[in-house]
Amino acid sequence: MNPDTLPAVVDCLIPPDDFPGAYDAGVCDYIEQLFQTDLAGHAEFFRAGIETIDSEALATYNAPFAVLTRDQQIAILEGIESSAVKTSWPIAPAPFFVMLVNITAEGYYSEPQQGGNRGQASWLMTGFEDAINS
Amino acid sequence: MKKYDAIIIGTGAAGGIVACVLAEAGKHVLLLERGPVLSFADVGRDQLRNQRLAIYGHNAGPELIGNPRVFVDPQGRSRLVKPHELDYHNNAACVGGGTRVYGAQAWRFHPNDFRMASKYGVPDGSSLADWPISYETLEPFYERAEWELGVAGDGGVTQSEIPRKRNYPLPPVLPSPHTLALQHGARQLDWGTTPVPLLINTEAYRGRSSCIGCKYCVGFACPTDAKTGTQNTVIPRALATGNCELKTSAVAEAIDTDDRGYVIGISYFVSSSGAPQRETARSRLVIVSAGAIESARLLLNSRSSFHPAGLGNEYDQVGRNLQGHLYPRAYGLSSTKVFNGIGPGVTIATIQFNHDNPGIIGGGMLADDFIKPPIDFWYDSLPPDLPRWGVENKRFMRDNYTRVMHVRGPVQDIPNPEGRVSIDRTVRDKWGIPVARLSGTTHPATVEAAEFMRERGEQWLRASGCEKVWSTQPGLILSGRQHQAGTCRMGNDPATSVTDEWGRIHSHDNLFVVDGSLHVTNGGFNPVLTIMALAFRSAEYIARLS
Repeated sequence: MNPDTLPAVVDCLIPPDDFPGAYDAGVCDYIEQLFQTDLAGHAEFFRAGIETIDSEALATYNAPFAVLTRDQQIAILEGIESSAVKTSWPIAPAPFFVMLVNITAEGYYSEPQQGGNRGQASWLMTGFEDAINS
Repeated sequence: MKKYDAIIIGTGAAGGIVACVLAEAGKHVLLLERGPVLSFADVGRDQLRNQRLAIYGHNAGPELIGNPRVFVDPQGRSRLVKPHELDYHNNAACVGGGTRVYGAQAWRFHPNDFRMASKYGVPDGSSLADWPISYETLEPFYERAEWELGVAGDGGVTQSEIPRKRNYPLPPVLPSPHTLALQHGARQLDWGTTPVPLLINTEAYRGRSSCIGCKYCVGFACPTDAKTGTQNTVIPRALATGNCELKTSAVAEAIDTDDRGYVIGISYFVSSSGAPQRETARSRLVIVSAGAIESARLLLNSRSSFHPAGLGNEYDQVGRNLQGHLYPRAYGLSSTKVFNGIGPGVTIATIQFNHDNPGIIGGGMLADDFIKPPIDFWYDSLPPDLPRWGVENKRFMRDNYTRVMHVRGPVQDIPNPEGRVSIDRTVRDKWGIPVARLSGTTHPATVEAAEFMRERGEQWLRASGCEKVWSTQPGLILSGRQHQAGTCRMGNDPATSVTDEWGRIHSHDNLFVVDGSLHVTNGGFNPVLTIMALAFRSAEYIARLS
């Protein structure tokens, strides 16, 4: 599996702006941990999905997902979300995408101890915690 | 073998109270709990594995492995469900039961909630019925629960609808910024509002300290023990008498009967060390307080040649009328920040629509909500037209987490006898006990009321200054979950009810059910205070039995 793909994917889902994007907040660490524990039984499903994202990128733009422009990346993900894919998928793309979006949000918005909300980045962003208490 | 005066199965809202009243009356009590004692650290603050958001697990039992149920969907397809899945209809399995991790709204039912059939008639396909007791009969026991456990509220403003002789012992929670907006909106609509009564210490009370305003009430345990459950009130009182023996990790298998069919005690498994051991205990009385699903399961699993369909089930009533609440939810985007980060978060309600709504049977209470952690908000509260990912989604979370106002409430369930608990004869739990099978739905009249209440929620938020408003209601599903009730309903006719008004099984002098199972109907309110009031009433009666 191309190690650059997942970081690029999660940053499309929760992009960096004034506040960290999903990758910088640690969401990939959260996801890695999750597929070793609660979702261990789905690890192959998820791996196949991430690998096929790269296949989609190669088939569409002749380059791996991580080096595409943000607009190209978003177009690839929108295609997967709506099952409008160009390659043959070993798994159903739409359910994979729902899982991908959900676990990215879980990592980013749940408590920092889960690994994906470093420094309470999302809690400070939302105002759930204020900077004085962080 | 030691013989007890009474064996109580379950330490939740009802079982803990029954144990306390009996032990303080000098009775020797065995109190069984299938789960363990859970400390604050045991419950933890995992935002993805708790009683409110249980994506990968939960935090108050039962264990995910070895405790399945069978769920039958409205199309008749059955499947195994684990305790953290919604269709399991879990409450909790630990000392204190659901009160260990609940939000602790402490409502009395409305007087009309006890006479639903008389007030509205019985719709086709429903088992709607009046309670065998009135609000007036239960009123002193509501007061007792409010004062002995400790409820914060303001009884004055609901006096004309829900009369009381004595106010709450504790002042209500303080308003938040969103409270003031909702108060303003209600005034525009000419709706009455009330602070939400809570089993939470707003001041130190009876040896426990006050709420510190943390953001983790519902789904979690309280860091200062200010949230009141049976585990920090009546159960310690029961144990202090020396008359109550608490056994944890003790899973009831069956109520035992003798060769004449008379109830003599209980068989249960303990698994504290190594392989499960079956133990038995004998008593003059058995009181089942395991919650509406597990109480029905235990009775149905207690079969003999005298009771081939289970105890108390001569008329195929045990397990029927499973009900909880449908929850319509409305959200509104305020132009200003309405979140101040101070819990519990639930502060204001209206009981304007619990009854007398045109064309609707019943109705319900509407209130604001407990603080939702951001991941809970992300799953639950975003507008349906917002993309689930990308710049726009993040921007909404950033800009609007503190501006969204939440209104929701429990809708009075119109009971359907086909919404039920039965026993699955093919699936067993890790002790070999046949598991609960849940099937059916609520009655369609419940959905009509839920739709009406969804619209009222939107109306309230618009009047409160929200320009963008959105909402959901769940539709025709089986209700139950943490408000589960109704499966051993009280009544005067053994053909249409399971127990008498005291919770005594019609066909057995010494076997009682005391918990939400007794509720003939479940009110348009969170049910725990009614479970507690009924428990005090039944327990006083049981204590007087020779």
